[in-house]
Formats: sequence, structure tokens, C-alpha cells
Amino acid sequence: MTGLYIHVPFCIKKCGYCDFYSLPDKTGLISEYVEAIKQEACRYHRLECDTLYIGGGTPSLLGTKYLPSLLSGLYQTFDLRKETEATIEVNPDSASFDFFKTAKMKGISRISIGVQSLINAELKAAGRIHDAKQAANAVMEARRAGFESISADLIIGLPGQDWRSLRFSLDSLTGLNIQHLSLYCLSIEQDTPFATNRPQGLPSDNVQAELYEQSVDFLEHHGFIHYEISNFAQPGFECQHNLNYWRGGEYVGLGPAAASHLKCKRYKNKADLEAYLKNPLGQITEEETLAPAEKSAEEAMLRLRLLEEGLDIDEISKRFGETNTEALTRRLVRLAAGGLLLRKGSKYRLPAEKVLVSNPILAAVLRD
Amino acid sequence: MKNIRNFCIIAHIDHGKSTLADRILELTGVTHTNDVAQILDNMELERERGITIKAKAVRIPYTAKNGDKYFLNLIDTPGHVDFNYEVSRSLKACEGAILLVDATQGVEAQTIANAYLAIDAGLEIIPAINKIDLPNAMVDECKVEIEEMLGLSSDDVLLVSGKTGFGVPELLEAVVSRIPPPKGEPENPLSCLIFDSYYDSYRGVIPHIRVFDGKIVPHMKIMMKSTGKIFEVDEVGYFLPELAVSEAISTGEVGYVSAVIRDVHDASVGDTIISPEHPETPAIPGFRRAQSMVFCGIYPINTGDYPKLTAALEKFQLNDSSLIYEKETSAALGYGYRLGFLGMLHMDITIERLKREYGQDLIATMPSVIYKVITHTGETLMIDNPSKFPNLGIIHHIEEPIIKVKIIVPKDYIGPVMELSESKRGTLINMEHPDVRRALLTYDFPLAEIISGYYDKLKSVSRGYASMDYEFVGYKPGDLVKVDILVKGNQVDALSFIATRERAITRSRALIHQLRKLIPRHNFEIPLQAVIGGKVIAREDIVATRKDVLAKCYGGDITRKRKLLEKQKEGKKKMKMVGAVEVPQEAFLVLLKLEDE
Repeated sequence: MTGLYIHVPFCIKKCGYCDFYSLPDKTGLISEYVEAIKQEACRYHRLECDTLYIGGGTPSLLGTKYLPSLLSGLYQTFDLRKETEATIEVNPDSASFDFFKTAKMKGISRISIGVQSLINAELKAAGRIHDAKQAANAVMEARRAGFESISADLIIGLPGQDWRSLRFSLDSLTGLNIQHLSLYCLSIEQDTPFATNRPQGLPSDNVQAELYEQSVDFLEHHGFIHYEISNFAQPGFECQHNLNYWRGGEYVGLGPAAASHLKCKRYKNKADLEAYLKNPLGQITEEETLAPAEKSAEEAMLRLRLLEEGLDIDEISKRFGETNTEALTRRLVRLAAGGLLLRKGSKYRLPAEKVLVSNPILAAVLRD
Repeated sequence: MKNIRNFCIIAHIDHGKSTLADRILELTGVTHTNDVAQILDNMELERERGITIKAKAVRIPYTAKNGDKYFLNLIDTPGHVDFNYEVSRSLKACEGAILLVDATQGVEAQTIANAYLAIDAGLEIIPAINKIDLPNAMVDECKVEIEEMLGLSSDDVLLVSGKTGFGVPELLEAVVSRIPPPKGEPENPLSCLIFDSYYDSYRGVIPHIRVFDGKIVPHMKIMMKSTGKIFEVDEVGYFLPELAVSEAISTGEVGYVSAVIRDVHDASVGDTIISPEHPETPAIPGFRRAQSMVFCGIYPINTGDYPKLTAALEKFQLNDSSLIYEKETSAALGYGYRLGFLGMLHMDITIERLKREYGQDLIATMPSVIYKVITHTGETLMIDNPSKFPNLGIIHHIEEPIIKVKIIVPKDYIGPVMELSESKRGTLINMEHPDVRRALLTYDFPLAEIISGYYDKLKSVSRGYASMDYEFVGYKPGDLVKVDILVKGNQVDALSFIATRERAITRSRALIHQLRKLIPRHNFEIPLQAVIGGKVIAREDIVATRKDVLAKCYGGDITRKRKLLEKQKEGKKKMKMVGAVEVPQEAFLVLLKLEDE
């Protein structure tokens, strides 16, 4: 399976926690940007893709004017005849009914809304430019426009958040009949507004952990499957594009800072819009081709994020060769013996109670 | 023989011994330029040229004012307090000594210590005040101190400047006129003293010798008095300062002997070389094996570097037979060595040089002294490592080594020095005022209290003005306990320590508190405990991490995710496992840090 990702590096204002490549106040460059994407796409002429994901940044800033242009460019270049899922990320402040309608008409099948919270104080603290009402409206408008697969993002660990407020957000979203939820723990990354100006009232790691566990219980109780560490879906609504990342699949990323994985090679574009607009085909950096032993370990690490599916070492060994997966197999056996992984024959997965402390386990899967 | 003079220069550190030696060598034509820096005392130089030029003695041809020709043998003495024994052996090889006092500093603790050693050895002493060219020279004060503190007549004092050469010709005349020529019988059976040695990778140990009776020539058999081992001499010679082969070294002379001695322990400093035909020849008095007073463990940071450390240590010991080592295993630190040193300065210098030789950093554990543990059955156990202490149940009492410390300090700093000394369990034995500006304090200290950091602290509380010297006086019972540190129930041997009962609790608390800061959180709770016997005297818990997860997806940037995990894994590799707990290296050095606080 092959995924196609488009990175839209524009936003109105940088949110406090955001460390994705995205520039505020550059929306004037959108038309140039769309043309540059079309140019870059030419490198992959007629490449068959199964999923499309337009992320950012704030892709909804493309608006009804540029989204059709971008999509038609992509449909012309790539072979998307077998496409099963096309997602666009939407920010509540730029989520009009018209936009949804246009998206729907042009072939978008899935909407991912950056809700983050449905408590105004939390949204404000996070530096979001919309309020709770706009966020809820966005979900409803998407539905009204005919979308049947709607996802929302929520953040755990926002300043001032507690279980009562988080439960309110979760309750409201499930009430709005979303099919998918991404639940991210707030982490303060370098060079973000929060790193330079640490907000008051951040819940501690312990509180974050509790909120996460309570959220998992809540969502499972409401019929969601905890299919990936940060992702929950009603049966059949798992994000196919992201599943492909976690299964070690191939994908092409277009736009500044977009990452690709093709023919066993990982690479990404430089995070530099200006340079990208000048020369969209000359931005590739950080190329990396892993040896089969490392590659298989990387895939195992990714697959273990899929909490239900996990990995099947026999299947991995078959693809990478026994000798290349010998050490990996040994590590998996050892971790399972220590109770850090669940094992059923050749299948391994992460125990539910280890999810919150999975980093050392995944690190131990990667190498000795 | 009557034209030979064997002498040394004794001085406190930095009183200008090396500069004066240089000037003497220059004036007598041994060296010709000012560039040849401090031949007798320059480690850099020794290292650069390999150790073969490590001249610990120089044969200086000298023509006196009256035209008589002499050979002056200038013998070097080690520069610091831990080498009292080595100093005493070098003095033994001489008939006289120049006692050098810095005119701007006056008599210091080591001046006194060395002067007493020289007086005890029966040497003729020529007191000389150095650096008189400096504007702040206090010649008269120094004379008073020499008289009062050392009991030498101020009329005999010479004034010199190593830097300008002033007074050096007079000094050389005094060496010839005041120091007696060596005695001894060339016809008697061989008797010579080893006062130093170095290791040559081709020829083995090269002892530096002073012949007292008989003579030593190539191809003769020689015997080490202390071991009875016999070697055949293949070469003898003098130091000019480079090695110069000669036909013989005769009674009264100083030189080297090469006899294919492979093991450094077969040519110990202070041993007597005799002729195997006359095994009854008495030993020159005063010989003893190097006695280690201070011990510590050293460990490679990466266990895989152990062979490299072994090689470095073996090589190192060839030139320092006073360093002893044996293999040691620590549950916490893996394979390493336990090193024994003559004293704390010897330890500091050795570890520093060893790091250089080994080429990388190493973990040196908290130094320890040898404790005497007397059991209920009356047995005495000598314990050089706190982790090796026997069970509390069998201990009747514990004795610790005591040293007598002499401190000379300007009177403005007496208060801070006394305060520092009291905090280190020092007992003031005596306080004298040899002159108006300074005091001579005599303290008894438990050696354990001053092996780490005392000297530095003494220097800092006195702004560098205090000087000290010490000697071992014996063992004394103390109210001592051994504290063990448990990390999640597992004892960390490298963190066990001995303390007075009184101080065990505060120290344990401080240590546990530091550990809590250094050990990262795990996904389980980690109790840290300090225990005496089975009794917990301090405890803190490291709470469990509840969250260590990459919750964000980062789009498709898998490489970044993988690298984050790999970085985490790398960090762990530098950790040592104590049970299931990953403990960073610096946690094992926490004891050392507590000393600094």
C-alpha cells in the first residue's frame, strides 16, 4: 500500500505547543505553493496511491479556491483510481459549510478537525484562535456537508485541564457522533512558544497519565477501539493512511518538511517554504536507507504501536529474511519473558498497562 | 673519595629547588643554556623524551676556588609529603643537604619535615635563603625562623638567588668545604643503597645506587639483600645527566646499574645490593616495603575497556613501585582494580597520570584507609574497602589510622584552619608561635578525615598560605559504623562508607538525597535506603514514572521517532544496572561530592 501526504505549511497563528513546520502570516503564498506542489508531484508521475492525507499547518486555509486546484493537480499526476481514503485536516476557525461541501465534491472522504478541547479557557491557554462553539460547529457542519467519517484531535495535559474538563470534551465529541479520535499528550518541544514561555497550571506527568487512562476507559466504554497508542476509532473507521505508517508501509510526502518512505528509503524535504517555492524538486534531505536488520526492527517498533494488531515476527522474518531478524526475534522473546510484551505464538503486542511507559520497551525492540 | 661530595637540596614545594639546581648545572658547565629547563624536576620533559632521561642524580665536575677538582653528586628528592620514606632513602645516599628556604615565604611545614629527616640522617646541613632578589624578600625573618624552628645557626645561612645566580658560587664552595667526603672501604664486600630506580623497556629496572663499600663492576653477580635474588651486572655508569657508561662505581660514588631486573619489586627503593659471595653483609638500616595508606577502586567507564586499563596500570607500575594494585569486582561497577597509595597526594597524582596513560576517563571510587576490625574472638582484620566489612555481629570494635599533622599558618588564618580541622575530627595537640607572624599547629587526625579534600580546603581557607606535613602515628579505636546503601533493596557496594556513629545519619541523608536527584525515574518506585546493620537510618523514594511515551505521530517522520528512541537507549547504555534500576555513573561518585560540600 502507498500513501500520499501533502504538507500545508500555513496557519493564522502558531499554537503554543506546535512544533510542526508551519508559518503564520504567509497565506499570500498559497497560490504559489499549490503550483509548487504540482511541480514536485511530477517526480512521482503515475504513482499508484491508496490513501491521501492533507495535513499541516492548517490545510483548511486552502479554502474553496485552492483546494480544488490542488486536488485536480494531484489527480492528474498520481494514479488515485484505487484510493480508499482521502483526509483533510481542518481548523475550526476556517471550517465553513462551503469548504466542507467543496471538499466533499472534489473527492475528500474524511475530515480531521483540530478540536483540541471544548473548554474555552483551555483553548485560550493553548493559543488556539477558535472557541469551543466553533469547534463543535465544525463537526456539525462537516456532517451536514455529508461526511460520514469525522475525526477530532484532543490534547491531554493542557493548562488547567482536569478529568472533569476533559470528560466534558470527550462527552461532547462522542455526543456529536465522531467516528475517530486522536488523543495526544501535550509535550513541550524545543523552539515552540511554550518552550520559551512555559504556561502556568500544566498538569503533571502523573496527572496526564491518569487523564489518559481515564480517557481510554471512557472511549472504550463508548464503543471506540484503542487501535493505536494515540488513536481511537469506531470499528471500521481506523485511519487507513496512518495505519500504513505504523505498518512500515510506503508513502510519498509533498511540500516543505514532508517525509517520504519509498523503495526502502526514507527522506524528507527541507523545512523551508521559500526555498521550496523556488525549487520544489531540490529540497530532499536526510536520506536514509536502513539495512534489513535495522529496517525490520524499525517496522517492529512501529507495529507495536498498533495495540490490537501488534506484529507477527514470522511474517516480518519472511519478508526480511531469517538472518536479518534473528536479533530482533531474540529481543522480542526476551521482552515477552520479562512481561514487557504480550506474546501469542509468533505474534507480539504491547500490554495495555505498559502503553504509557512504552518508550523504553520500543527502544529495546529497536536495538540491544 | 675525598674529592666526592654527595648532597641533595631539600625545600618546600615552590621554594625554588629546581631553579637552583639548574643554575648549579649551568655554572658548572653541565648544561650550557638557559633553555634547558629544570632538568631534575620536569615531568613533561621526562614524558617527551621517554623515561630514560629521568635523572634522579647528576654527577657534576667542579673545580674549587683553590683549584682542587671534585665530583659533586646532586641527588634529587621527591617533592611531596607522601614520599617521606623515599626522601629518607635519598638523604641516606648523601652526606649533606642544602636546606632551601624561600625568602618571601619563610620556613614551611615541609621545610621542617625535611630538615628533621636530614638531621636524623646525620647530614651536614647548609641553610640557604633563596629568591633574595625579590623585593618582598624577608631575609632577617627567615634567619630567625631557621634558628628557632630548625635549631640551625643563622651565621651559617647563605643568601642565594636561583634565578640570577647570586650566591651560587659561594654555595658550591660551601658544599665542598662543609659537607664531608663519603666514608667507606673500597676493599670491603659490596654494599650499596638503592635510592631510586626507573624502568627501561629494553633493559628492565635500572636502580640508582650509592655505593657505601666495595665497588660494582660489569659481569659481577649481585644480590638483593631483602629477597636474596641474584642478578648479573651488564652495565654500570653515571648520570651526566644522560647515562654514561663507566668501568666501575666505587665506594662513595653514585650511579646506575643495569642487571636485567625484570620485576620492579626486585629492586625496591631502600634495599641493599650486596655480593652473593658475602650474603652476611648487613642491610643498610631503614629499609621498608612501600606501605599503602590510602586505597581506592578504579573502574573503566565502559566495561569493555578493562583490558586497556590493565595495560595502562601495568605500564604505570613499572615506574612507581610504591603503587600497589589488585583486581577488584564491584557488583555496581563491574571489573576494576583496587589501588593502594602512600598517601593522598600520591593518590591524586597517580590517578591523574593514570588517566593520561590510559587515555580516557575512569571512575575512581571514594578513597578509604585501612581499618582494623577487632572481632569478638580477638581476631584482627585489616579492611581497606568499606564494602568488605564483616557483619556487625562479629565486630568487637573498629580502629582507624591516626596521623600527626603539622600545619604552619599565618596568624590571620588560625581561626579558619582550626575550624576546618575540628570539623574533620582533628585534636589539637600543640600550638607554637615560632615567630610573630605565624603559628605551628600540631593536630592528630583520623587519616580517613583528610584523605579527600582536606589539603585543598586548608589551602583555600588560608588563601594558599598554610602548609602541612604529616606522619603516621598508629591506630586508635573509634566509634565507627559502616553504612550500606540500598537501591530498591539491592546493596550498592561502591557506595558503602564508614563514618562515626554521630555523623552517619547526616551523611546518609545527604547522600540519599543526592542519589534521588541523580537516579532517573523508572516505571516503578525506587526506595533508596541507608542502613547500618539491618537498621534503616535514612530513606527517600524515587516515585515511578507514569508516562514515557511518544504520543504524537509526527506525520510520517518515522526517522525522528526512531532517533528519539535510539537516543534514549544510548543514554541507558551509560548506566550501570543495580538490580532492575539503571544508575548513572555519577551516582557512584556521590560520596566524593559530599566531601566537597
